[in-house]
Amino acid sequence: MKIGIYFCNCGSSIADKISVEAVIEASRTFPDQPYVTTVDFICSEVGQAQFVASLTTEQPDRVVVAACSPRDHEATFRRCLAQGGMNPYLLQMVNIREQIAWVIEEPLRATEKAISALRGAVYRVRLQEPLEKKQLEASMAVLVIGAGPAGMKAALSLAEAGRSVVLVERSPFIGGLPVLFDELFPTLECAPCMLEPLMGELLHGDYAEKIELLTLAELWRVTGYYGNFTAIIKKKPRHVDLHECIGCGECVEACPAKTGNCFNNNASERKAVDFAFTGVLPNVPFLMEEVCLRSVGEDCRACKDACPLGEGVIDLAEAEVTLERNIGSIIIATGAGLYEASQVTGMGMGALPDVYDALQFERLLSSTGPTGGKITTSSGSVPARVAIIHCVGSLDKDHCSYCSGICCQYAFKFNHAISTKYPETIITHYYRELIAPGKEAHFLLHGALNRQNSIFTRYARIGDIAVTRHGAGYLEVSLQGVTTAADMVILCPALVPAQGTDKLAALLDVTCDSAGFYGELHSRMDASRSTLKGISLAGACQEPMDIQKAIIEGMAAVGHTLAGLQPGRLIDIDPVTAEVESKRCAGCHLCSSVCPYHAISFDGEQHISQVNGLLCRGCGTCVTACPAGAITGNHFSNAQILAELEGLLK
Amino acid sequence: MTAESCFEPKIIGFLCNWCSYAGADKAGGMQVAYPPNVHIIRVMCSGRVDPQFILSAFAKGADGVVILACHPGECHYKEGNCRALQRHRMLVLLLEPFGIAAERCRLDYVSAGEGAKYRRVITEMVESVRKLGPLAVACGE
Repeated sequence: MKIGIYFCNCGSSIADKISVEAVIEASRTFPDQPYVTTVDFICSEVGQAQFVASLTTEQPDRVVVAACSPRDHEATFRRCLAQGGMNPYLLQMVNIREQIAWVIEEPLRATEKAISALRGAVYRVRLQEPLEKKQLEASMAVLVIGAGPAGMKAALSLAEAGRSVVLVERSPFIGGLPVLFDELFPTLECAPCMLEPLMGELLHGDYAEKIELLTLAELWRVTGYYGNFTAIIKKKPRHVDLHECIGCGECVEACPAKTGNCFNNNASERKAVDFAFTGVLPNVPFLMEEVCLRSVGEDCRACKDACPLGEGVIDLAEAEVTLERNIGSIIIATGAGLYEASQVTGMGMGALPDVYDALQFERLLSSTGPTGGKITTSSGSVPARVAIIHCVGSLDKDHCSYCSGICCQYAFKFNHAISTKYPETIITHYYRELIAPGKEAHFLLHGALNRQNSIFTRYARIGDIAVTRHGAGYLEVSLQGVTTAADMVILCPALVPAQGTDKLAALLDVTCDSAGFYGELHSRMDASRSTLKGISLAGACQEPMDIQKAIIEGMAAVGHTLAGLQPGRLIDIDPVTAEVESKRCAGCHLCSSVCPYHAISFDGEQHISQVNGLLCRGCGTCVTACPAGAITGNHFSNAQILAELEGLLK
Repeated sequence: MTAESCFEPKIIGFLCNWCSYAGADKAGGMQVAYPPNVHIIRVMCSGRVDPQFILSAFAKGADGVVILACHPGECHYKEGNCRALQRHRMLVLLLEPFGIAAERCRLDYVSAGEGAKYRRVITEMVESVRKLGPLAVACGE
């Protein structure tokens, strides 16, 4: 076997410390007696050209480059090998600069160590094998789960980039939580007005036809992997055609069945067929089967008869459908919800009237809400005293140990909204910590702090606060012996992952963090990618965040998606992965239990484990775990590592 | 000069590519000398370090083995360093009955930024193995 050692002088960086003559001398004792060539700066353009030219002339079987750290230039020299007509994986680098020349004072000892390292590399490189990158075709379609701000932004931007998008939303409308709000912090912009252009573009814009919007739909099952997922989606019947309906509301008028509207805290009524709330998009009602008189056996068809567009729009017999879509990548944008405030003792949530959590209060503020935006107590009067309790279940190891980062800002917004309508109302903020991050939040903070009728009271533990009801009918908030009357209490609970996050995570095989949000590939460097290749995270499903950040994250997920899969380009599969030798596999599953990327699946028929090269990242943990030695770590095989060891210790 | 200070132990270092190998590079970038006794084998993840590599190193004449991993919670591969830790704990229990002192097989954590820590860990390792003396002698071979 012909082995070439290329020794980089790195100017004087290496050559001053390590004697190349001694290396050449020693190399004669190495197996296969490699030839040694010195280059001045092998990474430079001239150096690379010399290297490639030499490879072309010498045609070695294996190459060792003794130079800087492989973390600097391994990729460069692999490319040189390819240019020289060799397989790039037949290269081994020896780090004689950072780890020898720069850290050993005596040249003699540095030279000794370099020779030892080179011997190790020669032993190893002899066993290295050519590896080929495999390539796969991929679907360009993207599945976006959740049509809140992050999901909508992602879906629309992908459509603009020419991608087909399947947008799955489990509620009957798009827009996520903020479409239920009136004004938004930090600038008090009208939420529906702000979201309307995005929603309008998504539904009827130039790229709308690239987006398949499925409302009342949920992901049921996913098979396959990056580039070629198959998504099974279950779509509940809306009974009103999303595309044919003009949103005139004639069917709503005609419907005789009523129930509470869950989108309005059940504080207002809706018909069996009705809009979720006024101004909802898509502007199409949905029929609640369990409320419809047909569910109790009556042959009611009042809505259908009332529809001015005729028979085709309302389908009373519509059933749940199962859809199958082939997709290349997935974006999870399922958002967040509020921590159940009734879990926090002493808050009175669910037990006392006039105690609202923030979402319920947002609906009270909203012109499309149950009171049309009027803030009144359950007895119908204007609240003269309002208590806003911050940090409910936040920064609390018994509930949620983190700070959600947005609650203070909407609490200040509530202060603004209440005092604008009722300047005489006394608002007490009970807070554990106050935060107002960023360049705009301070407006509302200072607005609240400077208002004459605002009181700020700090508490140490949420357990110190008790909300009770006085015999006279009003509420009382007690904190360390001081009791303050209140006509309304608004709780600001921690943000938590949306309901069903754990279920979806299990279905997609992505991990969740200790708080239950989707786990990132890396919390700083790759926060909008999940642990599974091809699945990105956008918005508050990753961590509590405001709309601004959710939109940015939506775009980050789009970036990952577009950079990963491009039309006409196959997906590269890195060959430095693990491979199972099926004959030796005993089917013990130990490998799949240690794989952090779910890259190992089990073939029940053959009773063996298989590594998916696309998902494997080449860490080699499974190789070490396999008790049968049935798994090979390509480019880091046992034989290669043991050979290097032998060479080093010779 | 005592015999102890003359002895130059030969130590094998298994370094994960992402943190500790980068930490060693960082120490190099600082250009401050440390003992040359540790010979490095780069693996992608400390989770790849098979106990048989360590046994083989001792069998082939290493006086010590050091495994350097990413800090807990910072593994590039999420939890490979935890596997390395589990395996190391188990292996050390097996080494001692064979007369191989636990100090000869050390696991530590070095991040990519910890050039100074790398130098310290390597220096400590070399000194502790130097004190123990050559493995063959210690084993009574």
